[in-house]
Amino acid sequence: MIPMAAVPIGTDAQLVIAPMLIVLATAVATLLLGQRPRARAAVSVAGAVAYAIAVAAIDWYIVLAPDAPGIATYQVGDWPAPFGITLVADGLSAFLLTMVATIGIASFVFSMRVLPELDRRSYYFPLFHFLMLGVTGAFLTGDLFNLFVWFEVMLMASYIFVAYDGGPQHTRAAFWYVALNLLASAVFLLGVGGIYATTGTLNMADLAQRLAEPAAYGIDPGPVVGLLALLLSVFAIKAGLVPFQFWIPTAYRAAPPQVTALLAGATKKVGIYAIIRLSFTVFAGAQLGVALEIPGVGVVVSGDSPLAFMGAALFVMAAASILVGGLGAVGRDSLEGVFAYSSIGQVGFIAIPVAIAATTASPDLRHLGILAALIYALNHTLAKGLLFLSVGAVRTATGTSRLADLGGLARRSPPLAIAFFVAALSLVGIPPLSGFFGKFLVFDAAARAETVPVLVLLLVGSLLTIAYATRTWNRSFWGVQSPAVEDATPDSVQVAVLLGLAAAILAVGVGFEPVYRFADAAATAALDSEAYVDAVSPTDIESLDSSGGGHS
Amino acid sequence: MTTVIMRTTARAVVPIIFVVAASLFVEGHNLPGGGFIAGVLTTTAFAIIYLTFGLDFLERAVLGRDVDPGKEPARDRIVVAYHRLFAFGLTVAVGSGLVPLLFGRPFLTQTFVEFEGVPIYHHLEVASALAFDLGVYCVVVGGLLTILSVVGAE
Repeated sequence: MIPMAAVPIGTDAQLVIAPMLIVLATAVATLLLGQRPRARAAVSVAGAVAYAIAVAAIDWYIVLAPDAPGIATYQVGDWPAPFGITLVADGLSAFLLTMVATIGIASFVFSMRVLPELDRRSYYFPLFHFLMLGVTGAFLTGDLFNLFVWFEVMLMASYIFVAYDGGPQHTRAAFWYVALNLLASAVFLLGVGGIYATTGTLNMADLAQRLAEPAAYGIDPGPVVGLLALLLSVFAIKAGLVPFQFWIPTAYRAAPPQVTALLAGATKKVGIYAIIRLSFTVFAGAQLGVALEIPGVGVVVSGDSPLAFMGAALFVMAAASILVGGLGAVGRDSLEGVFAYSSIGQVGFIAIPVAIAATTASPDLRHLGILAALIYALNHTLAKGLLFLSVGAVRTATGTSRLADLGGLARRSPPLAIAFFVAALSLVGIPPLSGFFGKFLVFDAAARAETVPVLVLLLVGSLLTIAYATRTWNRSFWGVQSPAVEDATPDSVQVAVLLGLAAAILAVGVGFEPVYRFADAAATAALDSEAYVDAVSPTDIESLDSSGGGHS
Repeated sequence: MTTVIMRTTARAVVPIIFVVAASLFVEGHNLPGGGFIAGVLTTTAFAIIYLTFGLDFLERAVLGRDVDPGKEPARDRIVVAYHRLFAFGLTVAVGSGLVPLLFGRPFLTQTFVEFEGVPIYHHLEVASALAFDLGVYCVVVGGLLTILSVVGAE
């Protein structure tokens, strides 16, 4: 047995697990209070506030404060790494947690408002908190198998949300969603098992250390390239990149709009996060010749780390996503249909700079690529979250979200129109909104990589974004008021949430400097494998064998 | 389903399953076993009872309650009890994980006590992991039985 580390836990370390414990305790408490709707709502609110405070504390004390350590770890159950589960909060985790907390709170307030019969919907809030728990856990864990577990927690809750309204089309969507994700989970498990068989560890820091010097540990890292490809396909399913995008439109249409905002804003980002974390923090150090000739084209993908292959695959998927998403969104006949396709396209925009970062040899460009992806992801979370929530608000007000039944909403409810307008402009990338900086950095990365086809592709994607954003705006907010709109009475709290998010989009754009610094710290953390390994400092298993179980 | 063979077998098998489940549960912390597998095994015993004697048997014959056969299964008293068991299990599991925080140790830290000279056993090891396992056991039994009785009634 390995002796326990008798080191008292510092405040930084306790902060790491705080958001997770808060949301877990809230989920259980809301489940227990199933018979008392008022108490349950109160506990839910308290939990959400505490969660936001915990995330803000992580941001400040671990990442942003002048004397912040930049990274903190927590060993669950007092088992030292790599044997126990390590939780790690660094810049990258903190940035994504903040993003998710923002959209989570907005979606939560919205939920409180659209669920009038609180006693009948007794499982809504526990599920909501479990969904948040899965997302939080996925961002904080430093263990590959544990990442799988958090994916499952997140999926279990989202399965039920997709089938939540119980109609035939919801059941159908949920069936596809469950079937696809079960397959994806099996593939994930296969990849995790393969990596364990190849390297002998699943702790991410230990993995990074072993892959950087395979000879010292007596392992052959060859299979890792293929296994990383398996994992990439799983994360691409979560992120909704082409060719794994087909589940998105039906699932997003079936789930309640405020949950769709969370699915698009949070669970999608978990896929992106996993790609960035595993590729750059864990697998980037592996020195491994990769050469793959793409049949029929004659292009050879080659490089000295698995990233070269990963980047090439990501390029193709991202390019296809931008086109499929953009073209699909132009022709949809309902608000949520447009935004679901738009999500596919926008994830392509997030993946392009990641692919650039993976294929480039220059450290500066790599840093810029990750930074651009993070800023773009932030904008997508805020803007797309707002748009999906506005679908909910429009539905509450008019009872429909079909473009044919809408029109003239701008005159009926100017505040709703303003919020929608800000989000749409941010999606297009108009200064001074957050979307401008996202797009600007993505174009900047592509220009510095000197790849003309990518620039052209981004331009086409942006034009498509303008096309569907204008079309949706014209059809639903301008023009003659339809009968449904004439009787519309938007809910004031819902509109207030939308305006709050719109203000956030504007604030990120106007006060971009601190956001940039935060994202900069996040990108640095994503690329700094050494600091990650040092912070976790996994025990050397070989030294344990020789000394009979000592712990340094 | 309710042939004489089935009923006789069920009477013999169900107690054995419960005993095996209990032993798997108790030794779970240092031998193969644990709350999850014990919970699944317990559920199979219930499944056999349901298959042999019907869905209402537990309430009518074991608990001595009157059962309204036309009732919606999700509102059934016994299913409500399963829900409660599920929520209780989750509370115990999370609560047992939180206890170490009071002693300044990380979440989910476990320890154990050894008793010497206990009658029959002589040497007994009680692990704090047992509390967590109890939670897991209740979650598994409560969750699976809810599914089994609601889906089984449809």
